[in-house]
Amino acid sequence: MTTSDKTGNRMFMTPVSRRRFAQGLAASPFVFGAASRGVRTTYAQDKVKLVVLTHWGSAEQKDPLEKIFAEYTQANPNVTIELQTVAFDDLLNRITTGQLGGEAPDIYHFYNLWLPDFVGSELLAAPPDDISTDVTGAYGEGTVGGASYNSKVWGYPTEVNDYQLIYNKKAFQEAGITAAPTTFAEFRDTAKKLTKKDSSGKVTQAGFMFLAGWDSGVVHPWTSLLWSNGGQYVADDYSKALFNSQAGIDVLQLETDIVNDGSSIMSTLTDADFESGRVGMTIMANWWGATLRASSLGMDNVGVAPIPHGEGGTPIALQYEWLWGVGNTSQNADAAWTFLKWLNNPRDSAEASSPMGEFLTSALNAIPGRQSDQKAHADLLSDPFVKPFVDAFATSKSEPIIPGAQEIKTNLQKQIESAWAGQESPTDALNTAAQDADRILKEKAAS
Amino acid sequence: MTTAEQVLVRPGRARAKRRVNRRSLAGYAFVAPALILLVVFALGPFLFTIWVSLHSWNMLTPLTTMPFEGAGNYSYLLNDDALFRETFGNTVYFAVGNVVVSVVLALSIALVLNGPIRLRAFWRAAFFMPYVTAPVAIAIVWRNILDSNWGMLNGLLARVGLPEQPFLDSLNQAMPSLIGVSVWHEVGYYMIIFLAGLQAIPYDLYEAAKLDGASTWRLFWTITLPLLRPTMLFVVVVITLSSLQVFDLPFILTQGGPVNSTNTLVMYMYETAFKFLRMGRATAMAVMLFGVIFTMTMIQLRLLRERE
Repeated sequence: MTTSDKTGNRMFMTPVSRRRFAQGLAASPFVFGAASRGVRTTYAQDKVKLVVLTHWGSAEQKDPLEKIFAEYTQANPNVTIELQTVAFDDLLNRITTGQLGGEAPDIYHFYNLWLPDFVGSELLAAPPDDISTDVTGAYGEGTVGGASYNSKVWGYPTEVNDYQLIYNKKAFQEAGITAAPTTFAEFRDTAKKLTKKDSSGKVTQAGFMFLAGWDSGVVHPWTSLLWSNGGQYVADDYSKALFNSQAGIDVLQLETDIVNDGSSIMSTLTDADFESGRVGMTIMANWWGATLRASSLGMDNVGVAPIPHGEGGTPIALQYEWLWGVGNTSQNADAAWTFLKWLNNPRDSAEASSPMGEFLTSALNAIPGRQSDQKAHADLLSDPFVKPFVDAFATSKSEPIIPGAQEIKTNLQKQIESAWAGQESPTDALNTAAQDADRILKEKAAS
Repeated sequence: MTTAEQVLVRPGRARAKRRVNRRSLAGYAFVAPALILLVVFALGPFLFTIWVSLHSWNMLTPLTTMPFEGAGNYSYLLNDDALFRETFGNTVYFAVGNVVVSVVLALSIALVLNGPIRLRAFWRAAFFMPYVTAPVAIAIVWRNILDSNWGMLNGLLARVGLPEQPFLDSLNQAMPSLIGVSVWHEVGYYMIIFLAGLQAIPYDLYEAAKLDGASTWRLFWTITLPLLRPTMLFVVVVITLSSLQVFDLPFILTQGGPVNSTNTLVMYMYETAFKFLRMGRATAMAVMLFGVIFTMTMIQLRLLRERE
């Protein structure tokens, strides 16, 4: 059978049986899928396209990032970079769906807590030796620890965040308090003094704000207090949770006491209560600075101090970070690592900032992980709000990067909140969370 | 039958069979688009869900490599997962509260608006309006209204001399508050359905009963309610289905808190799947929820159709 197309070329048509047609129809998704993958492979041979996925999606973040990418592509005309952004809450979903649908990006920007899952599932490509050497040599010990899993570095750290006690200077002044609390006893006492109530007993100014309903908002400050009380989160070999030790119980008891004193409020993720001056203190990360700068409170009224510590303890802040990694399925892994090396290394001299350092300090108001970037932007990082956070990195510890970390953290958050609400004693709440954690660690170790 | 007879009969039978086959083929061809859509978008995902529920899978590894768990996920949920039981209890609490309050309120409003009342169209529109508002917007607005420290409702209570309430911050009041917001959001829709049902009841039945001296209460119990049975069936089934799958309202309004008191099964399912990357366990929850919804719907259909 023959027919003609519009150009007059003759096309041959072979008779097709119903069975063949049905078989063809059933196979078509696989054929199209294979064809689409093939297109990408062929394309990569002559011109490199790097797809970068990040949660830095607002115009203030995306525009400067694209400018930096454009700078690189102008210097490397064979490279094009496509920036894909999603909201933080959707980032993990986007990564999993991209992986399933064969649309995985070449470069991921991700939260280091996801490392165990990503490494265990072979989502990430191991960096070449020169990249690993660069990271271990140019970043602080805690930052390198946060970018590592199974004793191996998995990418370039970007923004690093740690926790400090943030307080309202005006409220301190009004209460006659001259210095931020340093010990647990002072902490509870200060929270009481800062609390104001009206004639009906209603809190009009809370001494301390707990960020309830948000796992990081609950667990990160609590873990900072735990470490500052000499406690441990998990055994070094990841075999057992240790946060239910006496040090942990004491910290949760302290928090519960503050709740029972009537010195606290449970705020939501908006943190609007502190920003509007209705809260005396909270424990929060440095990234919050950008929000505070835009708030009506005014940065002159915001003070930052080290985490209060228990008897015999010293202030230790929890630190977490984000990092750039390359996908294991990327057809352009070499080009991706070359680009990331350029992005994260000083531009001209060893003293200069990296493009990433410029972006983090200008667009995000964040602290760059690279030590040379911290020196290059010393003026910005010596800001009264930022400096205590930078100084705290000297003694901070990375959030434990352990298998099942997210699930353990969420369970712990719920148990801590349960103790705050008086549903369980601090001991019972932490023992329940530790039992869950041990089960998860055991399960992950077996898989 | 002899060979000769077979030879005589066979061509006729074969022609008839071919005709039937052609007609069947045409029938299949007509239903094929709908059938394909059903298989691809409903049956396929459903079977896939059951299959995944028998495995352990984090969505980062290929499907072909996921370890087989058998009934492991189901066994864990039923025997070891306290949070699964808690969230299931919360979901049932929400569903029962939502069904009872919504049905009573929607029917009451419909009865009032079905009678002689001024500005009837205005009231109907006013009650229906919340339903066309996005749940996300509703949740944000109600979050501010119900804020225990600086919320508008507590301000109002204080002005009239009543004690302020913790609402969403209380373990005991959070779920009733959530039910209240849900009812406020949906009651207008169910009210419209009840109104349509009421208007379909022949008026002469009421006239005849009134002539026999029936009271208003008796009219309601012996005419209105029995004749509203199909409408009631529809409303109860629809509210039950939506209540057992509630997600958006608690997700935005309370994030499941305080301390899991408003954490529903679908929220926990979402967390298990997309936060903990335990798709096998999450799909096992989905299959179990399907079983519950299916059973509940069958029971409701049986109970409400019993006397028809």
